[in-house]
Amino acid sequence: MACSLPLPFAFESPAPGVTTSVASADDELLAQLRQGSEAAFRTLVTRYQDRIYRTAFSLLRSAEEAEDVAQEVFVEVYQTVGRFRGAATLSTWLYRLATSRALQHRRRSTAKKRFAYFTSLLGFDNQLLHDLPDHAHPHALLEGQQGLRLLLAHIGRLPSQQQVAFTLRHEQELSYEEIAAVLDTSTAAVESLLFRARQTLRRHLQSPARHV
Amino acid sequence: MSKPPLRPGSDEEWEALLHQLRQLPPAQPRPFFYARVRARLAAHPARPAAWYGWLDSVRRPAYVALLGLLGLAMSGDGVVLPPAAPHPASPANRPLAH
Repeated sequence: MACSLPLPFAFESPAPGVTTSVASADDELLAQLRQGSEAAFRTLVTRYQDRIYRTAFSLLRSAEEAEDVAQEVFVEVYQTVGRFRGAATLSTWLYRLATSRALQHRRRSTAKKRFAYFTSLLGFDNQLLHDLPDHAHPHALLEGQQGLRLLLAHIGRLPSQQQVAFTLRHEQELSYEEIAAVLDTSTAAVESLLFRARQTLRRHLQSPARHV
Repeated sequence: MSKPPLRPGSDEEWEALLHQLRQLPPAQPRPFFYARVRARLAAHPARPAAWYGWLDSVRRPAYVALLGLLGLAMSGDGVVLPPAAPHPASPANRPLAH
């Protein structure tokens, strides 16, 4: 899908001229990466590490797993940039890798937990597979914000596409067009995903049994 | 004077929640992230795409099992095939001359 996104950066809203220069800076960076430039790779990591880490963290809610996914994304970019045909922008490609790898991680850890559960039924010890609370991270400090904690828990239970769309929109503040490019779908489909996600979340938050 | 509590399930409560979500302290990787990426790259150098790429499938046991079954089915031992009709011209089927 050919994407020329008007807003490659998620957290700022640059003026149109700035957007063009950001896009051309990314094109230049891509060209240097293809030539194997170490300096270009360092620039890429520095420029995108926070956004990629945050995206992974929003989908996994674990600092350790988000770090793992973010590293994986940059390693993959370094190793496969020669095969990247430029059908999407650099930022779209990075977000795509981050969301797909994060969902893969989540599937793997769900499978591990199921395996741990079944083996615990058989009497095996699975201490290493149990969830450890991540007290060091700011999201673990949400005392007194029960509504927000519930919301985060229910976001984590949304179907994958809805979760990615909701997270990219409400946490990464990407535009509908950018989300459509990341998910390789239409803007209308993104609107529909977001509508269903919001409906589900509001229904769960409204229900009288508000336990997680 | 304190604000009145928001009505549960109201639009205002929902908007307030979304606002809180956006106001969360941004998660950030630990310092020296680039150094860790470099270390990971050094530990897992890229493998060139080669003719033995099919070996990757060995990591997926389901594919291996499927290949094994396919191999058995195609092994040509004739177990799964119906017996061939006797050939009239073969010497074993020719009537004995008296």
